[in-house]
Amino acid sequence: MSNILRLSLPFTVWIIGFCAVYALQGIACSRHWPPGLDPRTALIAAAALFTAIQGLVLWRIIAAPSRTSFVQATATILGAAALGAALWTSLPVLSLTVCS
Amino acid sequence: MNQTGLHGTALRLHKTLARIWAPDPGWRGWLTTSNNNDIGRLFLCVATAFFVIGGLLAMLIRAQLATPGSAFMGPEAYNQVFTMHGTVMMFLFAIPFFEAMSMLLLPGMLGTRDLAFPRLGAYGLWVYIFGGTAVIIAMLMGLAPDGGWFMYPPLTSAAFSPGLGADVWLLGITSIEVSAIATAVEVVVTVLRYRAAGMSLSRMPIFAWYILVVSVMILTAFPPMILGSLLLEVERALDWPFFQVENGGDPLLWQHLFWLFGHPEVYIIFLPAAGMIATILPVMARTTLLGYGWVVAAAISLAVLSFGLWVHHMFTTGIPHLGLAFFSAASTLVAVPTSVMIFSWIGTLWKGRVRMELPMLWLIGFFATFVIGGLTGVMLAIVPFNWQVHDTHFVVAHLHYVLIGGYVFPMIAAVYFFQPLLTGRSSFFRLGGVAFWLVVPAFHVTFLAVHVAGLLGQRRRTWTYNEGQGWEVLNLVASVASFVMAIGFALVILDIAINTFAGLRGRRNQWNATTLEWAAANPSPNYGFASIPVVRGRYPLLKDPDLALRIAKGEGYLADTSRNRRETLIVATTTGEPSQVVVLPGNSILPFLLAVVTSTSFLAPLFKAYWLSGLALVGVIILALIWVWRLAPARTEGLVDAGHGSQLPIASETADPPGWWGSLFLLLADGVHFGSLLFGYAFLWTVAPNWPPPTYLSPELWPVVLAVGGAVALALAPRLMLRGIERGRVWPMLLMGAIGTLALGAAAASVMLARPDPASHAFDATLWLLAGHVAFHAALTLIMLGYLGLRRIAGHSLRVGEARIVGLWADFTAATSLLALGAAWLPGAFG
Ligand code: HEM
Ligand SMILES: [Cu+2]
Repeated sequence: MSNILRLSLPFTVWIIGFCAVYALQGIACSRHWPPGLDPRTALIAAAALFTAIQGLVLWRIIAAPSRTSFVQATATILGAAALGAALWTSLPVLSLTVCS
Repeated sequence: MNQTGLHGTALRLHKTLARIWAPDPGWRGWLTTSNNNDIGRLFLCVATAFFVIGGLLAMLIRAQLATPGSAFMGPEAYNQVFTMHGTVMMFLFAIPFFEAMSMLLLPGMLGTRDLAFPRLGAYGLWVYIFGGTAVIIAMLMGLAPDGGWFMYPPLTSAAFSPGLGADVWLLGITSIEVSAIATAVEVVVTVLRYRAAGMSLSRMPIFAWYILVVSVMILTAFPPMILGSLLLEVERALDWPFFQVENGGDPLLWQHLFWLFGHPEVYIIFLPAAGMIATILPVMARTTLLGYGWVVAAAISLAVLSFGLWVHHMFTTGIPHLGLAFFSAASTLVAVPTSVMIFSWIGTLWKGRVRMELPMLWLIGFFATFVIGGLTGVMLAIVPFNWQVHDTHFVVAHLHYVLIGGYVFPMIAAVYFFQPLLTGRSSFFRLGGVAFWLVVPAFHVTFLAVHVAGLLGQRRRTWTYNEGQGWEVLNLVASVASFVMAIGFALVILDIAINTFAGLRGRRNQWNATTLEWAAANPSPNYGFASIPVVRGRYPLLKDPDLALRIAKGEGYLADTSRNRRETLIVATTTGEPSQVVVLPGNSILPFLLAVVTSTSFLAPLFKAYWLSGLALVGVIILALIWVWRLAPARTEGLVDAGHGSQLPIASETADPPGWWGSLFLLLADGVHFGSLLFGYAFLWTVAPNWPPPTYLSPELWPVVLAVGGAVALALAPRLMLRGIERGRVWPMLLMGAIGTLALGAAAASVMLARPDPASHAFDATLWLLAGHVAFHAALTLIMLGYLGLRRIAGHSLRVGEARIVGLWADFTAATSLLALGAAWLPGAFG
């Protein structure tokens, strides 16, 4: 991973996941999409998927370290923080009704 | 060399460089200069002027609210005044002011001689001046917008705001956003590439990190707003019903687009101030910043988090509970990086020994204020509380705590701190202290009273209130205190003006700061550094007080002036290894002229002069072509001597010239703009009440073939061209690319022809915008290919860098065109 990517990827994934889950909620509730799946299951699956990707990003950062120690340290903080953020913003999906 | 010989070298070098970097003589110099010192100063003065105007408007508001049932202003006037106050402060003061500061300071901090695209900076300045002046003139003519600074339709649609006011806002403010984007591209490329030799990422001054993050935020937050303004303006002018429910629109779409910009905007304003604090505080505490890496991480995460909060401004719009909880969770999350920053500052103070000079005093003012503003912000992130105080003066008080405490106070600290560097003079009398003691206490009295009035139920944006609700004393106190605060601000400006013209000549680096900008002469000359410094640590002046002298003597890079032109160094992004020598352009009137035609094309629609707008657009294209043509060097130089025994290529002869980087980030903004358009489309499709439209658009075979074929040809052409360049074979590829753009244009036209009435339904209007995106970008790429062809005809051999720049645009056009046309046909394809 290039150094700039390493620094920008963790939270970029977070924001994409966050917006995607929110958008999915809109579509699931108003257009019953994806068909045949109950909105809550769909949302939990999506949130889990993005949290997993977030974990993957962190793992890649740690497993293939940058040669620049400053970038490596900062990217690790960012990767961990973004994973924490993803978990935190997924909580409402687990604990609330979806479409009211 | 003896001492006099030494100074002799430095003096000779100074004289030559000063001549090379001199602006044109006389008043003309102001119009043609592109040096960051001149542009930054003008920018700073104009932004301050707008602060004064915004402040005067605030005084009018407070005068009106001082007593119940006041007859000072009627509701129409009041609406215009608070709308203009908010708009001027946010768009014409806050953003330009920090941009000005970064233009002035960044080259020095990074150890380079100027910003990456000096002429782009000049262009941004003039567009800002023209747009801002137009908005103010409109206000003086009584044509001010009056829909609040967030301009919600349907209030601001043609039906309810028939006058010109809303158009002034939409067109004027959009032109200023274009200028902000120009500056942001300039800053990003500067920070990533234009630095001192050896300045790796970890050695960058902290302000550079902050401003890098903020500039990327500008590139991603402004485009949704620009799109929103475009939609609203075409709705007002041509009746394309994006926000009209009857015809498939939805006013909530505006709120989404606005706050997608509006919340990040708050951090776009706060982060530069935080960057200033992180710069000044350690110097005032005679130490270095605690937790540099953590602060960088906090700035990056705060920037991205701020894009996940926009819906918290829409908590009262009937969003489902889960949505509320979602954005409430994200909103509380921002407290984490903010706390990291605050702890870093407190820790820095702790480990240092503070000296109580004026900049420090203002920073203390910041701490005292910002903490309260942050607390009320967290209160507002809690949904039930938010419902209670929504649209009351509690919100007004909160936002002023954050904006004045978190932005204005640190910026005043910064102006005092950098004054010796910018003007060569330091404080003259103690007026600054008096001003401080007027502003800060008066500020707290004003806005504490406003908080309470809000809790008691006083509504914002309401021109008056009745007696007997217990609000009289609070409002009177707030008004009187706000006048005191205004006098204080006036004294600050007076003090700085006096210091600038009559202050004592200061010595170099009077604060004993440790970053590079203080190694420049005092005031910093136009060329910045006589030679490009070599740095070995994050705080170059900390252990090396002689660095300034060695730079002046020409012991850094590029001290050789024999090429007699403006040169600076480009480094590798991560390591800071010198990698290219870039030749910066000299003085020119082009940026000014280009700004004149750009502003004309933006403002002409106000008077329904669409032909003039179109004509001006042609002018923009022609001038831009001349601009680029003149910048392209005529001959190939190969490697040049950069000093320190290194031979480096000239930037324009490499595969990644600055223009390539600039295009990359401009395309980022363009891509976000396009993404917002797709978002708007998806939003209307899922949420708008009057969907689906009567019919969808079914794809036909020919347009689909044209679209796919065109996109493939366009994507392939530059790639093949790169291979052909060495053998001088480029014509077939240029032709292929041109045919590709024409095919895309034809596919776009087919969409418009199939649905000739964009005013009939929001779906049709959206189709026109999608097709318009394709047509616009196809035309742009065609012009670029034409430019390469003209260069070839004029006998120049094409450069790899040029071809790669055009390749970037071609790829973007091909990819987004396929997406746009695909999105247009998608619903029709599935019935
Ligand atoms: C100089 C001292 C200032 C005073 C006394 C002041 C006063 C006020 C008042 C009373 C309002 C509410 C009007 C209403 O809702 O009825 C207001 C609105 C506002 N102010 Fe200020 N203000 C000051 C400075 C600033 C600054 C420095 C900024 C930004 C950097 C700012 C940004 C805003 C914004 C965005 C609004 C909302 C406008 C709207 O509702 O559309 N103000 N101000
Ligand atoms: Cu917000």
